[in-house]
Amino acid sequence: MKPELGTVGRSEPRKDAREKVTGAARYVADLEAEGALWAAVLRSPHHSARIVSLGTERARRAPEVVAVVTSADVPGQKRYAAILADQPALAVDVVRHKGEPVALLVARTREAARSALGLLEVEYQELPAVLDPVAALEPGAPPVHENGNLLTRYQFTTGDPDAAFAGAEVVLEETFRVQRVAPGALEPEACLARWEGDGSLTLWVSSQKPFEDRRNVAAVLGLPEERVRIVSAVVGGAFGGKEDSGVAVLAGLAAWAARGTVRVVNDRWESFLAHPKRHPAVVRYRLAALRDGTILGVDVLGHLDKGAYASYGPAVAGIFTESLTGAYRIPAVRVDTRLAYTHAPFSGAMRGFGGPQAHFAVESMVDMLAARLELDPLEVRRRNAVRPGDRHYTGVPLDSSARSMERILAELERARKRLRLREAGPGRRAGVGVSLAVQSMGLGAHVPDDSTARLEWLPDGRVVILAGSPDLGQGLAVATEQLAAEALGLPAARVFTAPLDTRRSPDGGVTCASRMTYLTGNALRAAAARLEARLLEGAAELAGREVAELRYQAGEVLLPDGRRLAAGAVASRLAERGARLAAEAVASFAYPPERTPQEYPVGIPHVLHVFCGQVARVEVDPELGTVEVTDVVAVHDVGKAVNPAAVEGQIEGGVAQGLGYALSEDMPLKASGEWVDGFAEYLLPTARDVPRIECVLLEEAEASGPWGAKGVGEMGVAPTAPAVANAIFDAVGVRLTRLPASPEAILSSPGGPPPGERPR
Amino acid sequence: MTVSFAVNGREVQIACDPGRTLLEVLREELSLTGAKDGCGGEGECGACTVLLDGEPVNACLVLVGQVEGRRVETIEGLAPPGGELHPIQRAFVEAGAVQCGYCTPGAVLAARALLSREPDPSEEQIREALAGNLCRCTGYAKMVDAVRRAARELGREA
Repeated sequence: MKPELGTVGRSEPRKDAREKVTGAARYVADLEAEGALWAAVLRSPHHSARIVSLGTERARRAPEVVAVVTSADVPGQKRYAAILADQPALAVDVVRHKGEPVALLVARTREAARSALGLLEVEYQELPAVLDPVAALEPGAPPVHENGNLLTRYQFTTGDPDAAFAGAEVVLEETFRVQRVAPGALEPEACLARWEGDGSLTLWVSSQKPFEDRRNVAAVLGLPEERVRIVSAVVGGAFGGKEDSGVAVLAGLAAWAARGTVRVVNDRWESFLAHPKRHPAVVRYRLAALRDGTILGVDVLGHLDKGAYASYGPAVAGIFTESLTGAYRIPAVRVDTRLAYTHAPFSGAMRGFGGPQAHFAVESMVDMLAARLELDPLEVRRRNAVRPGDRHYTGVPLDSSARSMERILAELERARKRLRLREAGPGRRAGVGVSLAVQSMGLGAHVPDDSTARLEWLPDGRVVILAGSPDLGQGLAVATEQLAAEALGLPAARVFTAPLDTRRSPDGGVTCASRMTYLTGNALRAAAARLEARLLEGAAELAGREVAELRYQAGEVLLPDGRRLAAGAVASRLAERGARLAAEAVASFAYPPERTPQEYPVGIPHVLHVFCGQVARVEVDPELGTVEVTDVVAVHDVGKAVNPAAVEGQIEGGVAQGLGYALSEDMPLKASGEWVDGFAEYLLPTARDVPRIECVLLEEAEASGPWGAKGVGEMGVAPTAPAVANAIFDAVGVRLTRLPASPEAILSSPGGPPPGERPR
Repeated sequence: MTVSFAVNGREVQIACDPGRTLLEVLREELSLTGAKDGCGGEGECGACTVLLDGEPVNACLVLVGQVEGRRVETIEGLAPPGGELHPIQRAFVEAGAVQCGYCTPGAVLAARALLSREPDPSEEQIREALAGNLCRCTGYAKMVDAVRRAARELGREA
């Protein structure tokens, strides 16, 4: 029999909620800083241009201007890296996208800094630009970087695709295009940087990766890392967009140049143009199947639009490539992924990390297969879905991950049946669509993929987690507090999370890749065991006993004579001697050779996966082409749900982002030649657009996870857009091959009989 | 020039350019940073929602000159510091409606305006009232739950 859990599995309240509902929470832009100066950034107005001259004298002489920084002034490395050091802190000789930082100006007020930007005199020589990832790889395309526009190419073949296509009874081919979308955290990127009197630098960041920010800031300023200190403020959402050191690098340069304290707070348009986006993609998908719906093989050519800088693109391309077979067992696979530089704002990490692009293609194809064969789309999915014992096409066994697939399919069936009973409103047509999805966890093989966490027992009896990865708002703190509390047999109310400070906190790695609950939880579990051991040692010494005579129970040490010694009291006695009652541990994703095919490039494959499925019901107005999503049922295997309310919050938020991807969000180039760069035209879903979302949590325990937990951060997004597209097909017979599904796209899409005549 | 108005029940006089926005004055002159800028001062996101004579407004679109003699309520005025939370705030906490929290002050105030006008709102009315407050984290589900919960709570108190 399983022992009863204490706090794991309960929707404990978040300790940061009170300060957030009262307005007391301090995000970077809210931090008080006496005498703080403001920086403003001069940004490229061109897609591609040579900087012929950059005159700073007039700006330097302006009243209230304290400093001007150009790339010539950068004291350390001119370029910084996520994966590849191709991104200039400030443009070096050329600009490669609109919005790229060209010069930095520091003044006494924000208004003065912004208005003095007009005094910087830049002469540009415009160069030809390429804005499409397919065109970028054609001969003669304007080069974005010196080494050509192909940044990364992954080509893998498994099984015998040629034989699969030769033996197929049905072959389908379609090309899908998905748009550029923005993470759109409500808090724009911001950083407060203070140049200290001793020649070191302190930065307050809103970031997914404070330790990487430290490395990048130190590199650009030519400082040793230990002279750069990063403190995490409250983070106002991230979704991949804050897996980027751009604003920290600029703030560091500004504070260094001004020898003072400087704020950099982005405007929304700057966030759109100069921070990571989800990669736009063009996916040509060919699928070979038998008449009974069995998929024999696929052949996929994918182009991802990198934009101007690498950021995490090569890693995104890896997960995109792995996700191209979705949640299906496909014996023959040929994939060719090309990651192409363009002169667009750069793409990088965004929730799902390549998964949403791939799933739109594969889940649409599976529906098209069902339509062609006049089979039930769910039945075709059931026929091809992974089963325990299967291997992913990369060779990774999907044993534990795939156990929930039968249950997912059953829940989807039930939800679809129920949603189909409801009739559409007058003049509208209803449709129900389904989608499966898989999301990998972690960074992948051959990459350091670990997290360190530290626990400390304070004399007042509280336990503090020094976590090395920031909570972005998703609730990492409450989840890890519950896991630490569970490990120590304490109520969650006694465990707290300290603000992340690179001087005190161990390096937990980047908060990303649906990996923190699993990794930090495992690290904390190990740290708790060490903490307990240290507590017993300390207590033994204080009580003059042998450790073996003592027992730990729920925050106390039981002595052989029946007395109890509170852990806080032991911590207090140790503190008198200058010692801390603390312990640290590291946890990693394991990539054992027997489970991890070795022939792939760095970051591929991933070995742990989470599976899910969603059902969407839509009502389409066939005259106007408008779509209302009325219901979403989200069925997710998350492993043990540590905090069910927080897990639901992740899924509901992910679905909302998926709905934006499906229906409204797009960052195209306008007729004016400018990118869409504000919320007036970039339409985030509102409370009116997002329907009630029903979450069904399946909790197949993951043996290697803390109390069976896996991950949940990204998985809500990928299935939503294909489920909506499939529902639109069900409603009006229109097969969407590009997102978003605007009314124009629906009215102009070929395929299917006219909506009014289609039988249901 | 000097502008006089009431903030959270306290009379203030601010000497400033009347063309500055209420958001700037609240944040920079009065250190009331609960109202946020999420869209670049374009009135698109609702993170700076405050109540002006009880009505929700985007503080980034209101010039401080326009509030002369009027009553402004910000999130900081809803509960005494360190004291008991307002039922709407408590409902947001208990319903799990708070994630990153950046949109939360604005959404709480939008809910307050709704519930003072309509104590027993339908789901549609709640969604309508929150439609000006963008949230990227929650998918609004638990936010709608929170407003419903607050309505029940306030109904009991009344």
